[in-house]
Amino acid sequence: MRSSLAIAVRALRRNRLQTSLTIVGMTIGVAAVLAMIAIGTGAEAAITDQIRAAGMNLIVVTAGNYKMKSTDDFGGGAVEPSAALRILSFLEPVLLAHPEDDPMEKHDHPTARQRLGDSEAGLGSAATLTAADAAAIRGIRGVQYVAEGLHQNVHVAAGEKRWFTRLHGTDPQLPLIRRAWTFGRGRFFNAGEQSRAEQVAVLGSVAAERLFGDANPVGREVSIWRQPFRVVGVVTTASWIVAPAPGDDQFDAVYIPFGTVHRLLNLAKLNDITITAASTGEVSRIMSDVTSLLRARHAIGEDKPDDFTVTTQARQALAKGGMRPDVARAVVGNVSGLEKVTLEQLGKTLDRATRTMTALLAGIAAVSLLVGGIGIMNIMLLSVTERTREIGIRRAVGARARDVRSQFVLEAVALSVGGGLVGVIVGLIASSGLAHYLRWSATISAGAVLVSVGVAAAVGIFFGWYPARQAARLDPIQSLRYE
Amino acid sequence: MSRAEGALIAVRDVTKAYAMEGAPVHALRGITLDIHRGEFVAVVGPSGSGKSTFMHILGCLDRPTNGRYLLDGRDVSDLSDDELSAIRNRQIGFVFQGFNLLARTSAVENVELPLLYAHRSRISPAERRRRAMIALAAVGLEDRAEHHPNQLSGGQQQRVAIARALLNDPAILFADEPTGNLDSRTSIEVMEIFQRLKEDRGITIVLITHEPQVAEYGSRIIRFKDGRVVSDRPNVSRRAAADELAAVALEPEDADA
Repeated sequence: MRSSLAIAVRALRRNRLQTSLTIVGMTIGVAAVLAMIAIGTGAEAAITDQIRAAGMNLIVVTAGNYKMKSTDDFGGGAVEPSAALRILSFLEPVLLAHPEDDPMEKHDHPTARQRLGDSEAGLGSAATLTAADAAAIRGIRGVQYVAEGLHQNVHVAAGEKRWFTRLHGTDPQLPLIRRAWTFGRGRFFNAGEQSRAEQVAVLGSVAAERLFGDANPVGREVSIWRQPFRVVGVVTTASWIVAPAPGDDQFDAVYIPFGTVHRLLNLAKLNDITITAASTGEVSRIMSDVTSLLRARHAIGEDKPDDFTVTTQARQALAKGGMRPDVARAVVGNVSGLEKVTLEQLGKTLDRATRTMTALLAGIAAVSLLVGGIGIMNIMLLSVTERTREIGIRRAVGARARDVRSQFVLEAVALSVGGGLVGVIVGLIASSGLAHYLRWSATISAGAVLVSVGVAAAVGIFFGWYPARQAARLDPIQSLRYE
Repeated sequence: MSRAEGALIAVRDVTKAYAMEGAPVHALRGITLDIHRGEFVAVVGPSGSGKSTFMHILGCLDRPTNGRYLLDGRDVSDLSDDELSAIRNRQIGFVFQGFNLLARTSAVENVELPLLYAHRSRISPAERRRRAMIALAAVGLEDRAEHHPNQLSGGQQQRVAIARALLNDPAILFADEPTGNLDSRTSIEVMEIFQRLKEDRGITIVLITHEPQVAEYGSRIIRFKDGRVVSDRPNVSRRAAADELAAVALEPEDADA
């Protein structure tokens, strides 16, 4: 077997041009297969990504509740003062939503603005959710990522420049939730910086541009609430649909660890908790798990309403979409099963569509493999004729019919596998190029590589068998005489 | 049939017929003869006399239609193709008119070829190369080992072919018009090698030729005509190639071009 392989490889080396042309055919076939698989899975992943980016697996728990649990969903029930505040806070969160601004609220500590000497510090923080709630939610089955959220409006200053922007106190997991984010410069803050409540900041690209122009802010210092923060990164979007603009909640913003917000503003609460479900289909189940978990943790009696609101991105969009609050409430209240039906079904439909597309692409690729295989067969048949004399010589010196056959089969396999391996490389390059161009995550699994090389070898054996049999059947005397 | 008194080759009533475009052709019409170890047999005859067919049968490249052929006491008439291949590999060496070297393959790789098919014995590539180099040295071409056939003269190519034929140390060497493509000087060189092989190593040589003067180098001359043996005689006045070469070397001008 090994000597047959050596014979086959030697024979191939003698016909370099023919060998390389045949290999090219196979290369194209395998590269096409790999690129198609990559595009197919990439499309699948891209659609899943978009579903996720669109928030189909996103759940937001907001502190407070503007809807009476006990009342009917058409909005006829009494509205609590806190709920009224909550609705208004969508419009003017700075003015009204802060408990320290609530004349009814009693506290015996110096306010953040007194301690830090910044009149804006501490505005806009909320009531009922805690970091411990977030930690408990992390333990729910099917929960992928959890990010705590504290939101403030702040002035960020860098030297002489000041910029009024949105501050988000959050968790290092947030970039995993915001799938469209990329870090043009630096990085997000890490778990260590979070747990030590360090004064580090990540600037949104708009804020960074306003404060530093084209200069690199990473390593520079900004001040928030008159406290120094070290800039560790600049976040921007990889999406080519939306360009970050001033007023943008995500990129005209500054991100710091929520622990730092807690430490500086002397707070223990969170405004909201953002959760992603590992699977879109589990969103509804996780929502109800979160609700019962938080109700238990907050010791809310059965007849009492939630002191938090669990929404999906879809509901939030509805609620924030400029609709009159009562209309939004009516809509959201009426579509309690909305996520369950539309999101899951949409997800499944998209899955089916991408599977069909993958199958189609795989079909095209299979055809190109077939063409590559026929190329090999053609070249092998030609080579049997061309090398009739060689076959005769080999037979005369003692090659058995099966030695000749295995030589030709192995030549075909060497051609196809050689082409296949080159094809893997070309396919990897092509698909990463495509991925870059289409901004798709074109993933090639080890399995896909193995399958395509395996198929290439199978093609070699299949299409090499017939010419090899022809070669083995040649009569030694006739082949020695062949001119 | 009993073992034919230790004859290396024993042929009894061998016929060969094949159909060519429907008409039966009787290439051999009943051949019976023995060839003993160490003989240098020259088979002569016009083309179409059946001498090549005879050599193919003796060389286990072809099978007789009728009759028996015993090689070293073993009846090879009914052996399988694989068994015939093994015999060709171990016991028989071939030298052809057209040299039949693999193109675009170095001389030493050509010589190695039989060892690639020596299935019974596992031979390492280094050992293959070593043995091939020894065989090349025996025909005086060790310095041409890496040359390809198209970089070698006809005489050199035929010597590479002889080295290849001798690699597995065969009992018999079959040569089918080995000088047909060579000039007279290199023909004598090849004959000198053959005679040396017979004398020094006791190799049995069967030389097929249509040239009577080439047949004169053999120790026995068998004439074929129309598929039959018409004469079979020992050659007492055989030519000595070594002497002729020495004589040629003494001439001031080499006439060969």
